[in-house]
Amino acid sequence: MKTTQNQNLNAHPVAINVLNLVKRFGDLIAVDDVSFKIAQGEIVGILGPNGAGKTTIIRLLTGVFQLENNAKIGIFGKDITKNPSKYKKHFGIVPEISNAFSDYSVWQNLKFSGRIYGISKGKVEKRSKILLTQFNLIEKMYSKTKTLSKGLKQRLNFCLALLHEPPILILDEPTSGLDPISVKLMRTQILKLKREGKTILITTHDMQEAQNMCDRILIINRGKIIADESPNTLREQFKSTSTILFKIGGDLSAEQENALLNMFNIIKEKNDYYVFSSYDTLKDISKLHTFSKERNIKISDLKVRETSLEEVFIHLIKEDLFVIKEDEEK
Amino acid sequence: MIKDSLNRIWILCMKNVFLYIKKGPVLIFGLMFPFFMTLSWVIGRDISVNQVFIGIIAMTSFFTATAISPVVLPIETREKSLERILSSPISLNEILLGILFASTLYSLIITSIIAVIFIVMFSIAFNSLIVILLMFLGIGLMSFLGSLLGLLVAAHPTDMTSDVMIIVNLVKFPLLFISGIFIPLQNSSPSMIFISFVSPITFLTDLLRFCVDRSNFFAYSFDIIMLTLWIIVLFIVSYALHKRTMPKRLSEAGKSKKKMMMMKKNM
Repeated sequence: MKTTQNQNLNAHPVAINVLNLVKRFGDLIAVDDVSFKIAQGEIVGILGPNGAGKTTIIRLLTGVFQLENNAKIGIFGKDITKNPSKYKKHFGIVPEISNAFSDYSVWQNLKFSGRIYGISKGKVEKRSKILLTQFNLIEKMYSKTKTLSKGLKQRLNFCLALLHEPPILILDEPTSGLDPISVKLMRTQILKLKREGKTILITTHDMQEAQNMCDRILIINRGKIIADESPNTLREQFKSTSTILFKIGGDLSAEQENALLNMFNIIKEKNDYYVFSSYDTLKDISKLHTFSKERNIKISDLKVRETSLEEVFIHLIKEDLFVIKEDEEK
Repeated sequence: MIKDSLNRIWILCMKNVFLYIKKGPVLIFGLMFPFFMTLSWVIGRDISVNQVFIGIIAMTSFFTATAISPVVLPIETREKSLERILSSPISLNEILLGILFASTLYSLIITSIIAVIFIVMFSIAFNSLIVILLMFLGIGLMSFLGSLLGLLVAAHPTDMTSDVMIIVNLVKFPLLFISGIFIPLQNSSPSMIFISFVSPITFLTDLLRFCVDRSNFFAYSFDIIMLTLWIIVLFIVSYALHKRTMPKRLSEAGKSKKKMMMMKKNM
């Protein structure tokens, strides 16, 4: 997939400039020559299936993993490749699973972080109180982290990430597995941080979240970027495609179901709908009608809808896998 | 720059002492083991107070030193707090030194307290102040050396403390039995003396013998040199191994927890 020029990059200074990022684990190439730029104040989402290399990219970016070969990372125009430690202060990281010390209280965790980042005791106290109030966590200030719920732990992660006032925030699936109230609070805070001018890199599996919050989306598969566009541009590119949904009246034999799934590359959703993408809606509906008649399958509740970002994502990943398979066969 | 780095090492050291001193493996292998080992060795045997003192100090120093350093990294890998530390302005060297100093400090304090109590209670006499200083130098070196040994074993990229503690104990006990604590080197065969070089505890025990009743086998300077050499070797090997296994450790993080949860679900 080709990428279009990002307008934000022309209008704002580049906050993150990543060049030729590579990471190997033995024979496995987890990140394969990844390059991208993020403008200051931009929210960029990284989407990809499990094991695509999202977290590895974050670990390389934040200096947890050492850079390989000719990889280069620039932060606000400065090359941090040679001394990543010095620039770690620029990042605030919110992981998917809490990584605060479970035997420390909320306050002790904040105090520890403050000391590590070289912030004075008075400033740590002041900042902590502001952040804990902002994230509705002030009442739990002296509670041990291990006694907090997942939602509260994630709020603490945000406080820890923001304590040293970093210009760049890296959020690794920040709302995964949280209750709706916590999700709403997190999203409000993320958008508030964007308004404050923070640059945000977010990985997520939630397509709605990506569509509503991100200025740009990087879709990653097998360690490579396969798309780099705004959510609207991505959907625009797939405007010619539509999604066909239908239900089956009565029971299907295993043989009938297999034939159906293979014929149109169909996915069965949880709500019993069978779904597939189509480039030619009328032709495919007619084909489905003939197919079902021949095999005595009763189709009901047939719908056609505009392709969502989730469907674009699935389509791109499938397309990428198909190309890889073809290459391997050659 | 160096001041900042030392400050970070100290912060990490204090964090390690505060968080891990009360952990089960640290209490069991650091305090209870040397206590019960000494009891089983002393009860019913005619051993002089000086010999008991040498044995108890050597064992406490070694056991306490190898208690904290092996457990920190597996626990922090499992809790993912290691990744948090690595993504903050802290280097791998500082993390390792923070663990080493915490473990050394813990060993040094516990061993010193026991040594002082024993000296006062049983009126153990020393020839001079230099000899006492030499004894504490030996304890200090062994505390650092034991911490390094624990750290070396902790290079195994696992997030299960039990995996590491099994290896630590597998190494610790043979080293203890060949060290000359239970059978003085004077009474050992030449082959046994040769084997005892494999254990660094040999040199602490011998140094303590010099300090307490001059029943040493090697010269005290030789003991100090050997302990220092052991430290240098363990430091180099340990650092190299951690540098190599750290990416694997981070990619393995949390896998055993997930596996255990799956097993519980299936039961």
